[in-house]
Amino acid sequence: MAEESALIEVKNLSINYDDFAALRDVHLTIQKGNITALVGPSGCGKSSFLQSLNRLTDLIPGCQTTGEMILGGKNILSPGCDVLSLRRKVGMVFQKPNPFPQSIRRNFEIPLREHGFSKLETTDRMEDSLKRVGLWNEVSNRLSRSAANLSGGQQQRLCIARALALDPEVILFDEPCSALDPHASGVVEDLISSLRGSVTVVIVTHNLAQARRIADHLAVFWVRGGSGTIVETGATDALFTSATDPDAKSYLTGIRG
Amino acid sequence: MSRLRSDRVLSFVLNAAALLCGALVLGIVLFLSIEAAPTIFSGKISAFFTDEKWQPGSERDPQFGIFSMLLASVLITLLAAILAVPVGICGAIFRVFYAPESLAKWQDRFLELLAGIPSVIFGFWGLSVIVPFINRYHPPGQSLLAAGIVLALMILPTIALTTKSALTAISPSLMAGAAALGLSRPAQILQVAIPTARKGIAAGCALGLGRAIGETMAVVMVCGNIAQIPHSVFDPVRPVTSTIALEMGYATAEHKSYLYAAGLVLVLMTALFLLVRIRKGASQW
Amino acid sequence: MVRSKRNGDLYFGIICGLAALCGIGPLLWIVYDLVKLGAGRISPGFFTDAVRESGRAGGIAPVLHSTFLIVLCCLGAAIPPGLGVAFYLTENGENRFRKWLRASVDLLATIPSIVFGLFGMAFFCRFLGLGFSILSGGLTLACMILPVLIRTTVAAVEALPDHLRSSATALGLTKTTILLRVLLPGATPGIVIGITIGTARALSETAALIFTSGYATRTPDSLLDSGRSISVHIYDLAMNIPNGAQGASASALVLLIALLLINFLTNFFSELWLKNLHSSK
Ligand SMILES: Nc1ncnc2c1ncn2[C@@H]1O[C@H](COP(=O)(O)OP(=O)(O)O)[C@@H](O)[C@H]1O
Ligand SMILES: [Mg+2]
Repeated sequence: MAEESALIEVKNLSINYDDFAALRDVHLTIQKGNITALVGPSGCGKSSFLQSLNRLTDLIPGCQTTGEMILGGKNILSPGCDVLSLRRKVGMVFQKPNPFPQSIRRNFEIPLREHGFSKLETTDRMEDSLKRVGLWNEVSNRLSRSAANLSGGQQQRLCIARALALDPEVILFDEPCSALDPHASGVVEDLISSLRGSVTVVIVTHNLAQARRIADHLAVFWVRGGSGTIVETGATDALFTSATDPDAKSYLTGIRG
Repeated sequence: MSRLRSDRVLSFVLNAAALLCGALVLGIVLFLSIEAAPTIFSGKISAFFTDEKWQPGSERDPQFGIFSMLLASVLITLLAAILAVPVGICGAIFRVFYAPESLAKWQDRFLELLAGIPSVIFGFWGLSVIVPFINRYHPPGQSLLAAGIVLALMILPTIALTTKSALTAISPSLMAGAAALGLSRPAQILQVAIPTARKGIAAGCALGLGRAIGETMAVVMVCGNIAQIPHSVFDPVRPVTSTIALEMGYATAEHKSYLYAAGLVLVLMTALFLLVRIRKGASQW
Repeated sequence: MVRSKRNGDLYFGIICGLAALCGIGPLLWIVYDLVKLGAGRISPGFFTDAVRESGRAGGIAPVLHSTFLIVLCCLGAAIPPGLGVAFYLTENGENRFRKWLRASVDLLATIPSIVFGLFGMAFFCRFLGLGFSILSGGLTLACMILPVLIRTTVAAVEALPDHLRSSATALGLTKTTILLRVLLPGATPGIVIGITIGTARALSETAALIFTSGYATRTPDSLLDSGRSISVHIYDLAMNIPNGAQGASASALVLLIALLLINFLTNFFSELWLKNLHSSK
């Protein structure tokens, strides 16, 4: 386990879709350089929580967030927060791989040039991050071909590489393996695991075995009184063996959920 | 037994309708060709491209050079494209990425209504508003520019509406991915959304331009109808369609067959735009 | 850098907003001009009086009469083969002729209306000997609106839920019964939309009519008489008649209002149709 120091402090977070309170009173500390897994049944607000971490919730009409999320001394949720540089610091990888349907190179050029990197730096960073996700050998001779032609697993690794290229402090993963076949899923899981220490990872997964394999910390989401909330957090091993919350306990031991 | 007979009658009727429709397309090309035959098959079609002028009425020296008119058709369409394509695409971007839902609905309504205005009304309006306006600064007013503006207005809704559907068809997860990389909204739109929707947009533009090059009424009233090679956008011009509309009423013999040949040329040109659309995969139904 | 990006978004939004206005403004401008120039001419008499002084005075009664007949001929001639072709396309499996047929419908849809005029003049007026007449004009327009009818009907049939056809077949109904009693009623709202769109096209068309149904301003006695449609009337007044602008504006207003009504009808049927589809699915 990496050294413990809080990177993100979530206090009293609530998320509403119009009148519907999807998430209420969430408190969570995310440790720097660790992998934190968010687990729980569908519809308990895990994706909503993840999206609020880089303000993608802004894109959803009618979605409101209250509370505090402190990253680097600043509140992510405050209106004054510069979302563009926030999203550069907090990258995201989605359930369905979503490379831009343009050349592999363009997939790096678009974000990197937008954030002010020179052409030369862009090429270097593209190569570095493609190597980091183990894709370089597979695509180095077809960088100008469309990313849409890659296999699902390759596309997902490309998306991870694209996020890594911006040197983020945090990468959010929303069920990154659930649209992939078992082999590709294993490759991506190993890749996420290898990020430990260099990047802080927050990952939503429905695969408890996977959570157990890769996560240092666990946060169990549950619906209480119509709204999602975190019912228990802790070190992964400790939680799997001795959760105190009855719902969390039955969920983690596979009795319910 | 009689039930099967009814099925056979039905299938006969449907086959007949299908054959009729197929025959119609061939028939159109055939009848145009028959009427144009005196020019096509006598080898005089070359006059289209070798004669310098278009003076079909002249008794001593009739000339049938179509070049200036083809050029006018192309220039008018090009001008309309230059005006309408950027405006249509930007309008659609506003509709999809900036306008609140209530405003967007109104924008669609208005564009649909604009698309429904008959070309003869566009032409009439151009004649009574655009032409006098241009005339004030660059007489005579009836000009390449006037025709381009009127046509641009006519094809604007087509381009804007097809671009809108192409943009709304983009998967939200792609746009979320762009946003998650910290791209500003203009960058998300220009570098991700537009390239993703480019096929649909191109097909929409081809649809609009195909209509523009075949448009008659909106153009004939404002273009000035002088068969010449224009030196500026303020010069009057005469496209192929106007020529047919203006001269068919009195044309005889050779003159008439040249007009039919010009009609065939128009069919060829619009078929080219159709080909572009098919290549862009936009006419699957 | 942050400030400049925010402003970039703002400026880009404003530019796009202005472009959107360019699509909305002209409609209001056109309507405003037409009303300003032509509304004064419109009175009950405008709809009932004969055309006088080539349209500078009098009404447009004969023009409306001819327009009505032309559109009627057009729809009468276009709807049966249109439906036939559409059902041919939906009821037969994919084959080479079907592909070719679809391509030719596409081609038909792209042919400029002036070329339809040339064809109509050569085929209906001269080859069939119908002369410059309402009938020639209507038939020419029928060829022109055929693609719209076919495409909307095909779309309407294909949008019907699959179980409709399979359950009807399971009941042992003949193809004819399925088509006439199940598919046709189900697709009717969609077909009606096609017909309203086709009617609007026919009403708006000028170029295909000037050489087929002609310019005559008197009331036609039969379908073989020449008669001008309202679009041709507008064209003639604006182009060939000095001081015809007022009459042209008034007629254009009448045409626009008719088209607006048709547009509302189309929207009404579209909504009805969508509702039906949802409830049957
Ligand atoms: N865009 C939205 N609009 C309205 N409600 C939403 C939206 N997205 C999610 N919700 C609701 O919020 C709740 C939490 O959803 P989500 O965050 O996707 O949960 P999870 O990822 O844990 O399955 C669900 O009840 C869902 O219906
Ligand atoms: Mg989710």
